Amino acid sequence: MDKLLAPEVGLIFWTVVTFLCLVWVMKKIAWGPIIEAIEEREGKMRSELEGAQTARGEAEKIRAQLEQQVAGLQTMQREMLAQATKEGEALRAKLKADAEADAQRVREKTMAELSEEKDKLTRELRKEVAGLSVMAAERLMRKTVDDGVQKSVLEGFFHDLESRKAN
Amino acid sequence: MNFEEILAHHLLDHPIASWMIGGVDLGPTKDVVILWIVSALTVAIFGFAARSRTRVALMMRYGIEAVVVYTRREVHIIFHEDADTYLHYFLTLFFFILIANLFGLLPEGASVTGNINVTAALAFCTFALINFAGVKKQGLLSYIKHIVPSGLPFWLVPILFPIEIMGLFAKCIALCIRIFANMVAGHAVSLAFLSLIFIFAASSKFVGVAVAPVSVGMALFAYTLDVLVALLQAYIFTVLTALFVGAAVHPH
Repeated sequence: MDKLLAPEVGLIFWTVVTFLCLVWVMKKIAWGPIIEAIEEREGKMRSELEGAQTARGEAEKIRAQLEQQVAGLQTMQREMLAQATKEGEALRAKLKADAEADAQRVREKTMAELSEEKDKLTRELRKEVAGLSVMAAERLMRKTVDDGVQKSVLEGFFHDLESRKAN
Repeated sequence: MNFEEILAHHLLDHPIASWMIGGVDLGPTKDVVILWIVSALTVAIFGFAARSRTRVALMMRYGIEAVVVYTRREVHIIFHEDADTYLHYFLTLFFFILIANLFGLLPEGASVTGNINVTAALAFCTFALINFAGVKKQGLLSYIKHIVPSGLPFWLVPILFPIEIMGLFAKCIALCIRIFANMVAGHAVSLAFLSLIFIFAASSKFVGVAVAPVSVGMALFAYTLDVLVALLQAYIFTVLTALFVGAAVHPH
């Protein structure tokens, strides 16, 4: 069994030659096509991945734009609502003021009319009372007083009345 | 017939013809012929898988591609941009050793990787590739300079240089012996278990018959282990070759 480690130059020679030839032949017929196919597939996968990434970036951009638009619309909506509220508020205040002014005017006018009416009635009442008093006095005295005297007496009476009222 | 003769018959090489060229016998022996058969088989299998468009070829191709993709990634990690230069060599080395190992497990087959001359030749190819790749990448002077790790105190360099050179040889010799010993041991163990039958039968036929199932079972176990070892040794030889060549290409 010492032949187990015996050197055989021929076998070494043939092993080296065969193996180197095998490396060359395998490179030509097997590894070349297989590695080429693998690289082609990897290239395709890489380009697909890149495509997918680009598409995703695109989608992200569109989403950001849409979000921006939505945000803009929301801001606008809020502004419009605030504007409308303010306008409504102003309109209400104005209407209220107008109504109050109208009511005030009507009240004042009514008061003025009432006071005028009262004065008129008072005046007429006085005239009537004066007439009646004169008639009563005439009857009482059974004496005819001429119209001139009557008039001057009445005017003096009214004058006194007015001055007393003024006091 | 004793056990040594059986082992010699199964494990040793036998000359077939003698071609004396320059005082050296280059005649084919049993192992040379098996070497050629294994090479032809390798070319046939991979040529078929790579080029045929049949269903079987495609299935084979997927299996091979998985190994190629793995090897390619590993080689890229070691060699970076030089990977494609050496990838063919490592792939061929792995599948050649694997098929040679498995061929030895066939009936009537012998594993050429169980002959130290063949493993020595393969280790020599590795040795040559280490130096070739190192010189090619770095230039001769830079390669020799980088045999010693840089950044050492100058007085260590003369001591370390012979040690590194010896290490370079030791690496290759270890490669050679590792695979040779593994393959021989596997076959020897199988043969030893089977020979037990005849050793016991020599004392009594009944004992031999009783021992036979146990022996066959153990031999089968050793054989199964050999399949694993065949794969493992092909892998180890290739990985170590790649690491050594990678270290020569990128010394840092």
